[in-house]
Amino acid sequence: MSFPNENTLGAAITASNKRSLLPGGPASRARRQENQHRASLGTAFIGIGAALVVGVRAIYGFSWFVSLWGTYPQPALALSAWIVLIATLVTIFIVSRVIGDHLPDWIYLAFVALLAVVIVLDILAVWELHDFGGHATASLTAAMALLIVITLRGPVDILVTSGVLGAGILVAMVLSTPLTVETTPQLITSLGFAVLPVIIGVSVVTGFRRMVQIELDRVLVQSTISAPRFAVGMMASEELARLDLAAEELLDSVATGRNPLPLEPKVASVAASLATELRLHLIEGRRETWLYHAISESEMLGRSVALVDKSSLAGLLDANQRDGLLAAIWLLLSDNVKTTTDRTVNVQVGPITSAADPAIGQKLLVPVVITTTGVTRNRVDPSTWDAMRRVGRYSDSTQDASLRVDIECFVDNPADM
Amino acid sequence: MDQILKERDRLLHRTARTFGLSFTTISLLCLVVPGAIPPESYLVVLPLYAILAVSQYFMGRSRALGWPAGVFVAGLAIIAVIAFVENRVPTPAAMSAVSQIAAAAIACVAIVLTTSRRRLVALGVALLLVIALTLFFTFGWPNPVGTVLLVILGWVLASIVGIWVNAGVPQAARRIASIGRAHRAERQASEMEAQRRQSARLLHDTVLATLTLLAHSGVGVAPAALQQQAADDARLLRQLRLGATPTPQSSGDYNLEPVEETVLGTTLESVKQRFGRMGLEVSWHGTGQVLLPSDVLDAFLLALAECLENVRRHSGVTEAHVTIVDDATTVRAMITDAGVGFTLDDVDSARLGFKESVVGRLKEVGGHARLFSAPGSGTTVVLEVPR
Repeated sequence: MSFPNENTLGAAITASNKRSLLPGGPASRARRQENQHRASLGTAFIGIGAALVVGVRAIYGFSWFVSLWGTYPQPALALSAWIVLIATLVTIFIVSRVIGDHLPDWIYLAFVALLAVVIVLDILAVWELHDFGGHATASLTAAMALLIVITLRGPVDILVTSGVLGAGILVAMVLSTPLTVETTPQLITSLGFAVLPVIIGVSVVTGFRRMVQIELDRVLVQSTISAPRFAVGMMASEELARLDLAAEELLDSVATGRNPLPLEPKVASVAASLATELRLHLIEGRRETWLYHAISESEMLGRSVALVDKSSLAGLLDANQRDGLLAAIWLLLSDNVKTTTDRTVNVQVGPITSAADPAIGQKLLVPVVITTTGVTRNRVDPSTWDAMRRVGRYSDSTQDASLRVDIECFVDNPADM
Repeated sequence: MDQILKERDRLLHRTARTFGLSFTTISLLCLVVPGAIPPESYLVVLPLYAILAVSQYFMGRSRALGWPAGVFVAGLAIIAVIAFVENRVPTPAAMSAVSQIAAAAIACVAIVLTTSRRRLVALGVALLLVIALTLFFTFGWPNPVGTVLLVILGWVLASIVGIWVNAGVPQAARRIASIGRAHRAERQASEMEAQRRQSARLLHDTVLATLTLLAHSGVGVAPAALQQQAADDARLLRQLRLGATPTPQSSGDYNLEPVEETVLGTTLESVKQRFGRMGLEVSWHGTGQVLLPSDVLDAFLLALAECLENVRRHSGVTEAHVTIVDDATTVRAMITDAGVGFTLDDVDSARLGFKESVVGRLKEVGGHARLFSAPGSGTTVVLEVPR
């Protein structure tokens, strides 16, 4: 919709109060933060899985250690490395279960320091053998043990720590072991097994969080399909409450004389813009349909969906058609692996073309046209078509090398209801 | 639920790709250590590595099972070739490369083979095949037990990743669904709250009128009266915030009667007074005794006030005429001024706040507005509402 660049009182709508009318105001920001927090749900379980992986790896490493016992020049050092490692792993596992979803800095640093101690002890234990790859055990497990806290710290923390530990091990390798055809492959293998699992783990956790985020977004937006034909939306409601409060405060300050009359120009312009925003909210809110709200409230849809629905016809769709349309738009976009890809969807609802008014009881034909950019016909998820079918009879074609779908959507005539 | 399963599969496939490609790289690094295998055998091994890597890459993009099968076959082929060229005394590099392939680069398929019972069976068969064929190909190599243990370790770790993500998804999905239900309730509540606030029209009209006066710094109104009016409005807004739906009887000069039908004439008089204070002389013509439902009256008056506000600001004259006529179905107001006028095409009606304040308000009660103007010949607005 278009906003007047000047309100009826002559005060220009400034950038700041104009922004608050649009999605992205304080209300949606708060919601986004909440979502980020919620995205951690389910990761506690993933954390247990990661601990299990570390456990299996530790058992494997320890059995190697036992089988190599006789070859160590200083078995006591290697054993102490294992003792420290096991104690650390058990402690951090228990602590992380108790603490919940974020590890405080000092615990994390203490954990990393203990891992470093293990690595140093193990390196000293095998130094004289000059074959790090063949004999180091505890240090490799320790480098991988970062997986235990993988859900409790940000990916950057974990990757940086892993890089530092890996670099330390690499330096120790190069200094202690002559690089020959005999030893190099084992060094590469050892380093790979120490560092790669952490990197893979970070990608799993990041992917899992993203998945939860997307699903959450979808489920929250889906609540719009049961909305009435016109709705104010979550944000508008909060905005209206905010405007009412601001007006109350302003009027109160005038009433008590805190702002003496006649008002300063600055206060007067505040009053002018409040009046305009309030007026717009009182009128505008009711004219928006569920689809507008769904798109403006969703992180994913808001980024790449444009809606043209001049007569607010989307409000006429029944719940099943709405669900189908939303799912179809969602599926067209959800292959969007990277946020940088320029895949967009343009949804045009209406206008109703048939000149003659339909008879009573006859359904109204609302054409829905979905045009896209960057969506090729053969990359579309098959279930998209099922979703489209729920909206109405559709025909698909290609326009500008991207998908275009025309849907004939029959809705109840509002005049009959 | 269906959608999140798709996302889950996508996540598993992508993880398998990262897992597989990482260890394929490590294996290749071992193999390119000088002297690892006879130089001519690179001609065979490197293309196989390429096939392996490509299969792993596409395994991350598609849910088809062909790519994991490709990974499986290419991986075993690499093992077979290396074992063939190094069949007596293998170099440590060759042994490392083979164990990386068997225990990790192929094991990445385990991650995507955890999503159903049938796939789990396939996973078991694949693991046994890898162990058996690796032992068979590398028969005579030292430390076969170590190799088998490493292979089992790799596959177990990969399976744990797959199984765990797989099991975590329904849990997360259940909780997301319950958040969704809570959100739906929240949306309904917020919808009702907004309706409540929006339906407090009389209140908002008086607040808007007061804000309008304040926007002009309160010039032209007695300060004491305006302060009183502001205090009243602030009190009403506070009541609204605390949950009541106040219906003001009057505010300042306004007569806001919350009855079903209100006589138009009395309220028109207060509008006239208000504009008189701000320097626009409004003359009424025609009927003054029209009964209107209160919501229609609200919209009608607000639209009328907006039009007069536009006259006051843009027309350049200090007098406006309002003619009210009514018939059996409609009440019509004509607001006319003899001001500067404008070309309709030149001035976007949105700029006058016309669309939002006038058309929008009237539309809600089933009415409409029309605008006539030309430069130099004044402006006429016709407002119509149903009776």
